[in-house]
Amino acid sequence: MLFSSITFLYYFLPIVLIIYFLTPKKGKNLVLMIASFVFYGWGEPVYLLFMLLSVAVHYVLALLIERHQGRKLAKVWLVLAVTFSLALLGYFKYADFFIQNFNAATGMSLPLLKVALPIGISFYTFQILSYTVDVHRRETPAQRNVIKLATYVSMFPQLIAGPIVRYVDVAAGLDEREHSIEKFRSGLRRFLIGLAKKVILANSLGELCQIFLKTTDQTVLFHWIYAVAFTLQIYFDFSGYSDMAIGLGRILGFEFLENFNYPFISKSITEFWRRWHISLSSWFRDYLYIPLGGSRVGRGRLVFNILVVWLLTGFWHGAAWNFIVWGLIFAVLLVVEKVWLSSILEKIPGWIRHLFVLLVVLLSFVVFDAANLTIAGQRIAAMFGAGSLPWADTVTYYSLRSYGLIIVLAAVCSTPLIKWAVEKLRTRRWAEKMLAVAEPVVSIVFLLVMTGYLVDSSFNPFLYFRF
Amino acid sequence: MKMKKTNLIIVATVVLFWLLLSFAAWINPSKDISLSERRLLKQAPKLELGSVASGQFMRDFEDYAKDQFPARDTFRMFKALSRYYVLSQADNNDIYIVDGYAAKLEFPLKENSVNKAAAKFRAIYEEHMKDTNCKVYLSVIPDKNYYLASKNGYPVMDYESLFSLIREGTDFAEYIDITGDLTISDYYKTDLHWKQENLAAVVDKIAGALGVSEELSPNYTVQVDDKVFYGVYAGQSALPLKPDRILYLTNEATENSTVYNAESELYAPVYDLEKLSGRDPYDVYLSGAVPLMVIENPTATTERELVIFRDSFGSSLAPLLLEAYSKVTLIDIRYMASSLIGDYISFSNQDVLFLYNTLILNSSEMLR
Repeated sequence: MLFSSITFLYYFLPIVLIIYFLTPKKGKNLVLMIASFVFYGWGEPVYLLFMLLSVAVHYVLALLIERHQGRKLAKVWLVLAVTFSLALLGYFKYADFFIQNFNAATGMSLPLLKVALPIGISFYTFQILSYTVDVHRRETPAQRNVIKLATYVSMFPQLIAGPIVRYVDVAAGLDEREHSIEKFRSGLRRFLIGLAKKVILANSLGELCQIFLKTTDQTVLFHWIYAVAFTLQIYFDFSGYSDMAIGLGRILGFEFLENFNYPFISKSITEFWRRWHISLSSWFRDYLYIPLGGSRVGRGRLVFNILVVWLLTGFWHGAAWNFIVWGLIFAVLLVVEKVWLSSILEKIPGWIRHLFVLLVVLLSFVVFDAANLTIAGQRIAAMFGAGSLPWADTVTYYSLRSYGLIIVLAAVCSTPLIKWAVEKLRTRRWAEKMLAVAEPVVSIVFLLVMTGYLVDSSFNPFLYFRF
Repeated sequence: MKMKKTNLIIVATVVLFWLLLSFAAWINPSKDISLSERRLLKQAPKLELGSVASGQFMRDFEDYAKDQFPARDTFRMFKALSRYYVLSQADNNDIYIVDGYAAKLEFPLKENSVNKAAAKFRAIYEEHMKDTNCKVYLSVIPDKNYYLASKNGYPVMDYESLFSLIREGTDFAEYIDITGDLTISDYYKTDLHWKQENLAAVVDKIAGALGVSEELSPNYTVQVDDKVFYGVYAGQSALPLKPDRILYLTNEATENSTVYNAESELYAPVYDLEKLSGRDPYDVYLSGAVPLMVIENPTATTERELVIFRDSFGSSLAPLLLEAYSKVTLIDIRYMASSLIGDYISFSNQDVLFLYNTLILNSSEMLR
C-alpha cells in the first residue's frame, strides 16, 4: 500500500489509528503488528509469508545466539541467520542478474528465474540483520516476545521504504512508549510535509522526467533539465517517504532517526553521504565498514574497504551494472577525498566545492536512472553536447515553462532556507501565535489539494519501492 | 499547559476534518459515470479469494477509491487550480487554455499512425469503389492545436507532414483543403469540436469540390439551446472555463429528413434534441456516435447520394450538405469493422467523402 494513496489515507490509516488509540497499552503492539501485516499484504499477500518466515527464523536464531553467547555455536547461529536472510534477498533480487551475467560470460543460456521482487525486502532484511547481529554483539538482549519482534520488523510506517530502523533504536519503545498530543501534532505535521513533498513535488518532477523519456526529439538543454528533475525527484520521493514514516512513527509513539539532512548543501562527497539516506550509509558503516577495519588501517586496506562498501551500496539499490557503477563512482570520489584531497579540499572556496558536489550528484543520478550503462553514457555525453543535438526545441522550452516554477520551488525546498525562516519566526511571539493559527488551516488546505492530486492522478510511483 | 491546549486544538481540527473526509469516503454511494470526464467510473471490486491472493482486488480497490471519492470533481478542481495558477504549469491533464479556448496537447506526429489511416482508407477504396463510378474525396479537419499551439509556445505535431502523408497515401481521392476556411473561433471554447453555425466557409469549400454548391441554399434558421454547454475539455481539465452554447441550423431538408440508425434499427430526427440534456450535448447532431446511419431526404430535388466516412466532426457537418442529396450515409469505422461495409452499402455512383480530424489520424489504431 502506498502512503500517497486514497486507500491508505482515507480507508486504512483512520481505522488503524482509531483502533490503535482505543486499545489499551498492552494490546497496542498486537494492533500495530496486525495493521502492518494488512498494509504489507495489501500489495503482496504472498510475500507476507516470506516476511513472517524471516521473523520466525531470526526470532529462534537470536534466542539461540543469546543462549550460546561466548561459544562458537553462537557464531554458527549468526552465520546461519545472515546466510538465510542474504540467500532470500539474493534469490529474489539478484539471482537473475547473476544468471544473465553468467550466461553472457560463458555463452550458456541458463533460464532466468523471473521472480518478482517482494516490496521492501531490502529494507526489512537489513533491519532484521541488524537485530540479530546486535544480539550477537551483546548490544541488546534477544526479544522473547515474538509479537514485539514481528512488530519491529513489519512496522508499516517504515516497512517498505525505510528509514532502516535498527532494533536497538526502538527496542525500548516496543516495551513502553509515550503517546502525547505534542508528538501527535509534530508527527501529523511531518507526515503532511512528507506527503506534499511526494505528491506535489516528486510526482510533478516525475512527470517532467516522463516527458523527457518519451520525447523523440532530444536536446542538450532537455538532458540537463531531466538530470536536475530526476535528482530532485528522487530526493523528494525518498525524503518525503522518510518524513511520512518518521511522522507516523511519532504519532504511534516511536522516534525514528532522521534519514536525510539537506544533502544538496554538502561541500564534499563525504558530507553528502552523511546527509543522504543516512540510515543506509550508517548501516553499512556499522555492519560492514567498521568490521572490515574502517579507516584506522593502512592506505591500501582503506581503499579496499571503501570499494567493498560502496560496491555493495550500489548493488543494494538494484541488480544492474548501472547501480554498481553508481556505487563505484562514489567509492572512487570518497577514496580521492579521504586519501589525497582531505587537506587540499579545505583550501578550495566553499561555493566551488558545493558546485562540484552538485555536478557529481547530478551525473551520478543520470547513471542511477538509466536502464543500462550505454544509455547512461549517451545521456551524459548528450549533456555535454555530444551527438550534434540542438540546444533546445519547442518541447524543451515548453517543459521548462511548465515545470520551471516547480524546479525552483523544489530547489529551494531542498535547502534549509524554509526551516531557518520558520525557526527565526518562531523566536517572535506574534509569529508563534500566527503559526499556531496557520498550521491547521495550511494542513487542511494541503490535505485537500493533495487529495485532489491523488484523485486525479495516474502517475504516482514510489521510486525506492523497487529497492 | 497553554501549549498543550494549542496542540490539542490543532490536532483536533485537522484530525476531525480528516475523519469527516474518511467517513464520507466510506459511506459515499457509488456513481456509474463521471459526466465531467465522460467516462464510466470504477465500481467496488468483488471480494474473492483469488483476486485478493493475486493482489488484483487491492489494485482495483484503489482505482475504485479514486473514482468514487466524495466531491471528486471539486477535488480535481483543487488540483487543477493549484497546478495551473499556483505552480504556473502550462497545462492540466494535457489541456491548456489560450484566450478562453481549451485545447489538448497532441504531439509528436505519429507517422505510422497516419500511414495506417491512409492504408485503411485505401483498402476501403480498393474493395468497394475502385471499379465503380463513385467520386472519392478526402478532407482533413485540423484540431484546435493547429490554430492555437505553435504561436503560443505549445508543442505541436508537424501538421504539414501529416497533410502531406495523408495526401500521398490517398491519391485515389480528391483532396479538399479546409485549413484556410477555419479559425480558432470556429471551434467551441470548451470542446474539441467545431461549431456547426460557423461552418459556412467549410461547407462552401466541400460543396464546391463535390459539385453541389448550386443545390445548397444559405437559408438556415439558427436554433439556440438555452442550456449552457461544457465540452469535454472543461471536464477533463477541471479548470473553471466559461461555457459554450449549442446552436443548430435547420432548414426544410433537416426538418423533413429521417435518420436510420443501423445498429438500433430505429429512426430519429436529424437533431436529437433529447441529447441536449444528456451526457454530451454535442450528440444533438445526428444522435452522436453511431457506427452506421442513413439520412433520407424526401425534399431532395436530386437522386444523388453521399457516403461519408467520418468521425464525430462529421455529425455537425453532414446536415449542412443534406439539401443536395436524397440520401446521406455516414459510416464511423471507429465503431464498425470496415469488413462489414459491404453488408450495408452497394457502391455504384455515389459521392464518397473521407472526413477525419487530425487527432484521429494521429491515433488511427481506433479505426477498425
